[in-house]
Amino acid sequence: MEDNNLVEIKNLKKYYEISRGLFKSKLIVKAVDDISFSIRTGETFALVGESGCGKSTTGKTLLRLTDATAGEVKYKGENILSLPYDKVRSLRSELQMVFQDPYASLNPKMTIKQILMEPLRVHNKFTPEERMQKIVDILEIVGLSKAHLNRYPSEFSGGQRQRIGIARAVILNPDFIVADEPVSALDVSVQSQVINLLLRLQKEFGLTYLFISHDLSVVEHMTDRVAVMYLGKIVETAATEELFADPKHPYTQALISAVPVSHPSEERERIVLTGDVPNPANPPSGCSFHTRCPFAMDICKTIEPKLKQVGNDHIASCHLYTEHKEEKEDAIIHS
Amino acid sequence: MTDVLLEIKNLGIEFKTGEGTVQPIRGVDFFLKKGETLGVVGESGSGKSVTSLTVLGLLPEKTSKIVSGSIHFEDEEITHYSDRQYRKLRGNDISMIFQEPMTSLNPVFTIGEQLSEPLKRHKKMSKKQREKAIVDVLKQVGIPRAEQIIDEYPHQLSGGMRQRVMISLALLCEPKLLICDEPTTALDVTIQAQILKLMKQVKQDKDMSMLFITHDLGVVAEMCDRVVVMYAGEIVEVAEINELFDNPLHPYTKGLLASLPTNNDRKSKLYSIKGQVPRPNEIGEGCAFANRCPFAFDKCYAKTPPAFSEGDHLSKCWLQQPEGR
Repeated sequence: MEDNNLVEIKNLKKYYEISRGLFKSKLIVKAVDDISFSIRTGETFALVGESGCGKSTTGKTLLRLTDATAGEVKYKGENILSLPYDKVRSLRSELQMVFQDPYASLNPKMTIKQILMEPLRVHNKFTPEERMQKIVDILEIVGLSKAHLNRYPSEFSGGQRQRIGIARAVILNPDFIVADEPVSALDVSVQSQVINLLLRLQKEFGLTYLFISHDLSVVEHMTDRVAVMYLGKIVETAATEELFADPKHPYTQALISAVPVSHPSEERERIVLTGDVPNPANPPSGCSFHTRCPFAMDICKTIEPKLKQVGNDHIASCHLYTEHKEEKEDAIIHS
Repeated sequence: MTDVLLEIKNLGIEFKTGEGTVQPIRGVDFFLKKGETLGVVGESGSGKSVTSLTVLGLLPEKTSKIVSGSIHFEDEEITHYSDRQYRKLRGNDISMIFQEPMTSLNPVFTIGEQLSEPLKRHKKMSKKQREKAIVDVLKQVGIPRAEQIIDEYPHQLSGGMRQRVMISLALLCEPKLLICDEPTTALDVTIQAQILKLMKQVKQDKDMSMLFITHDLGVVAEMCDRVVVMYAGEIVEVAEINELFDNPLHPYTKGLLASLPTNNDRKSKLYSIKGQVPRPNEIGEGCAFANRCPFAFDKCYAKTPPAFSEGDHLSKCWLQQPEGR
């Protein structure tokens, strides 16, 4: 199973420092705080969570679009984070990203031809004639045509732009794509087209996806495994079907129950969380979820739970599943 | 017809653009009964927000014009109200909650100052009474430390809290009609669940009517009694909520429901409506949905279908023509 991992993330940390003036100590925001997971070849791995939980930062750190504070990201056994920059640059032909906002991620002053030519030129692939052919091919694969080549992004709708964004990521034949909320800015009827495109490309090119999303119905539909993040930490990881059928962590349970029903006659028992996500610059002590957790115990306020195996290939960090009584007693003594 | 609060008849709106005029709203017809929550569903550009702005007289005067139809509120025609007349209505009888809680509060005034504005305008109250009314309504929407919050600025609050402030702002004068334009779209799911629960409860307590505009069919399923489906500036279907989900008649509504990931097998290809929403200047003769419709035939391209009704269920599609099936 170990050999099957395409990407392995170990103890990844990304801290941002906020200056509060000359004489005050700097405030440290732990955007990503010590997370580990691995993505297997050919699968779609989802990162879900609410805004500000660090899922996008994780995606960017993986591709070294922003530098990590600590930890390692192993891609095919090689640690990306310690490679010299020019090596990373050439490696990017295998690692690509699709961004959330199709309106902001395409240069408005470049034609579609220029946008798609750029990656081929940077990585110096193919002869000029082959490049042109490649661009036309990829446009057809994503459902656009030759006629669009000399147009500017402003002439396209949101869904078409996202197709161009996807074409730009796929044109180099990468192995791994980080898709950061690729469909959340799109209308419902266009969203399903783009999801279908992503699924088809995965089959055709044998892609591995890291799918970052807050839309649980999309995640349930198209991913294989899911990691749930809360305030910079992973609180639960499991196979998608298992996670939706039997969520263990109270946060995951609340998150799944909060998804709107799909039919008006459907009755759902809903766990409505009280309060807001705490400020990441000043996270609660102990388990970071205890301020909103309906099952919070005394131990949760003082001791941070560790990730525990709670099922086959299913881990969660919650004191409800801590077997060791000593740890609980220890907490009572401390508090 | 006394139980009808708001009635819109054959509304048409024209916008002036650099290249001429476009009609973002063409012949919109619907009514809202007292105590009802009516959902308006559609994709971006379908004209749902423009419709709601028209009800409040908030369209820019210079570039837009109502070319046909009428709007009645409580049996009074408000279509050609003057600005002064509208000012009496807005925030008093009709209030609106906007989509972006981040941008719809003024950043340079405290919450208390902003909340006292509708009261100053519409109610004769002393300063003390106003403050009490504001604190009361803030507590109703579940804002902790309401007494301190009134002296704070919008940036000190989170998105969910700001949306609560917006809701309390809309509730202050106990309006008869509350228009909600995508009130939870910018919020996270757990916060969305909180706000929807709150709005249901508030509606029940105050016996208001709600016009609920959204693109999220799940939210509609949860909140609404009846639904209006809009596409490219027209109403394509009106139905009671269970009827719409169980027996959609218009191909567009069918497509929308079928393309929801929850209605498809996991990992399978999602049903999808081909093509995209036409821009207002691309709409010509015939049914606006014809070029994306899997069932389109000659007549669809030639002539715009009228509304065919089956009881309370209304749809604009030639397939529903009684003898022409």
